Amino acid sequence: MDYFLQTFPQQLVNGLEAGSLYALIALGYTLVYGILEMLNFAHGDVFMVGGFLAAGVAGLFIHNGVAAVPAALVVTLMVAVAMGGSGLLGVGIERIAYRPLRNANRLAPLITAIGVSLLLESVVQVQISPAPVLVPSNELIPQSVLQVGNVATPFTGATLFVAAILLMVGLDLFVFRTRFGSAMRATAQDREAATFMGIDVDRVIVVTFLIGSALAGVGGVLYGLRFATVDFFMGYLLGIKAFTAAVIGGIGNLRGAVVGGLLLGVLESFGGGFISSQYQDAFAFLALIVVLLVRPQGLFGQPLTDRA
Amino acid sequence: MPWHKRLWESGPYGWNQALTRPQVLVPFFVVAATLPPLLQYIENNSAWTGAEFWIRILTTCAMYACLAVSLNLVVGYAGLLNLGFIAFFAIGSYAYALVASDQLHQHLPLWSSLITVIAVTLGFALLVGIPSLRLRGDYLAIVTLAFGLIMRELTIDLDRPPVLAGHQFGPSDFNLTGGTAGIHAVDPLRLPSWMPLIHGAAFQSRTYYWIFLGFLAIIIFCLLRWRGSRVGRAWVAVREDELAARAMGVNTFKYRLLAFCTSAVMAGIVGMIDAAYTHNTFPDNFNVQETVLVFIMVVLGGLGSIPGAIVGATLVTILPFVLQQLVLYKYVVFSLVLIVLMIFRPQGLLGTVSIRPRATMGGTIELLTAESAIAASELPTVTDREAADLESASGAIVAMEPEP
Repeated sequence: MDYFLQTFPQQLVNGLEAGSLYALIALGYTLVYGILEMLNFAHGDVFMVGGFLAAGVAGLFIHNGVAAVPAALVVTLMVAVAMGGSGLLGVGIERIAYRPLRNANRLAPLITAIGVSLLLESVVQVQISPAPVLVPSNELIPQSVLQVGNVATPFTGATLFVAAILLMVGLDLFVFRTRFGSAMRATAQDREAATFMGIDVDRVIVVTFLIGSALAGVGGVLYGLRFATVDFFMGYLLGIKAFTAAVIGGIGNLRGAVVGGLLLGVLESFGGGFISSQYQDAFAFLALIVVLLVRPQGLFGQPLTDRA
Repeated sequence: MPWHKRLWESGPYGWNQALTRPQVLVPFFVVAATLPPLLQYIENNSAWTGAEFWIRILTTCAMYACLAVSLNLVVGYAGLLNLGFIAFFAIGSYAYALVASDQLHQHLPLWSSLITVIAVTLGFALLVGIPSLRLRGDYLAIVTLAFGLIMRELTIDLDRPPVLAGHQFGPSDFNLTGGTAGIHAVDPLRLPSWMPLIHGAAFQSRTYYWIFLGFLAIIIFCLLRWRGSRVGRAWVAVREDELAARAMGVNTFKYRLLAFCTSAVMAGIVGMIDAAYTHNTFPDNFNVQETVLVFIMVVLGGLGSIPGAIVGATLVTILPFVLQQLVLYKYVVFSLVLIVLMIFRPQGLLGTVSIRPRATMGGTIELLTAESAIAASELPTVTDREAADLESASGAIVAMEPEP
């Protein structure tokens, strides 16, 4: 019990940190699902490409541990390139692989999505690196450890958490407070009715992919800074966990995805810390099965879309 | 109209029907079965020395054909996206390796190990299928994807006793799966001695080629029997329009679970034969990319088509051997093929699934028109009087509709 009480806050912090990354990626799944009702399998790999873009930018400016330009500028550039690159990639995927199949059998876009996912993975594996690529995190961001009481977290982890929360607040404001956001919500509720209201649905879908993928791109940068390495397979497990988070929160529901992500992170951290670190990854899967059995619509009941 | 012209006119559905007649399938299997001795004969009587190599490739083809046909059952017939398909193959191979190797010091005879493999894969299929098949297809896709991944992690981790909440389960020398190294020295299949040709054959791969081919024949026979039965029609109905199927009284969950479990057990048995063929089993058997590769075979050949699955499996297996440059870019090229096919020719070579329903009519109509394309030519021509009867009948139906 003592062990439990002493490590509880630390596990909570670790879980929130991992969970904020899940939430950031879960937003992309839930945005696309809310509007198109399709599972974008390639989303996890868009996150991976974002990480690689960031690693590439960092590699351009930093040689042998010496930064040619101020670190803050490099990080800004990394974020900009990863966001732009991932965003455009997401839009491209939608345009080429999903749009022609929008009115097809439900199976068709799912199969192309899994094809796109494998394509991105194998292209990065063959053309860039089959081994993990290092991100010079040491030179870019302070590696100090923040200590409050007996809870410690690396500065990078805290950055990840804060940045993710800020982005999510920004997205929430965009979707619920702007004119375009209400067009997005209208499209999610009923695509045809939205067309009648004069909403350019194609444009809404493109912007949705752009935003979701750009968030995944930032996720890739934050992941690279936190763990100092990116690899071609990293989007795979993280993608599945993020989707689990979206399902837990109620797919299609933005705030639900955030809560689901944080919850999943904490759950995993507790499972790994108090039950078994060996089977940490299995807890996410168990959570998914339990949620599907008990409450398939997720915690926040009504998803954005009412169509069943 | 000459028969070849009529066949051409009948489209993919008709080709598929024509190719699955016994007059075509039996000669196909006879020719396929005589390939190894034929290759051996050519090698013995010429300077060519590739017989063993090509027999091995043919064995791989036969194995992938079995997998593709099984996956076709769940994706093509029932329309379920099972992305953990290859995990059932791996579970089958591990289940066999555990009861037929020194790993657990068990060496069960063939039939009991077969029953073990079936029971284990069925158990896992139910575990995954029951929670996810009640929901929409997307959930099944992600649950099966996650399942494959978790099973892979578990097989890697179960070479030591599991430790849960500080408590160690099992003795310290507990080693179930052999970790990343996998299980080696798995027993070959011990076939009954009355079996002709197979028992005591000189070449390992040739024996297993025949075993895979035999299993392929069995599952194709089952699928063809099921296709026209109540079960097969229920699968197609659920795939094409779930709501309509439910309205007709089809228990969608039951038939989906049936398709899912049947296909999983088939994959498990293929895994068992593969473990016996290669004498080992690895965590890499769970590789998700393999699932996508089998998907590509099925989509290339055409969803819902048995000959298509065989053609797809053969093409995807042999192409990297023929075009050596392709080996490195295998997944790049094949995933591109998958995407391009889905967009431009979603029905593949011989597909029967209406991937792109007409906007106004929905999926079922297109399937019906495709299906009746050949049947229509055999129908008696409708006389004017019959047409008038039909009109009045439909008029009566229209009149029966309540006024808004």
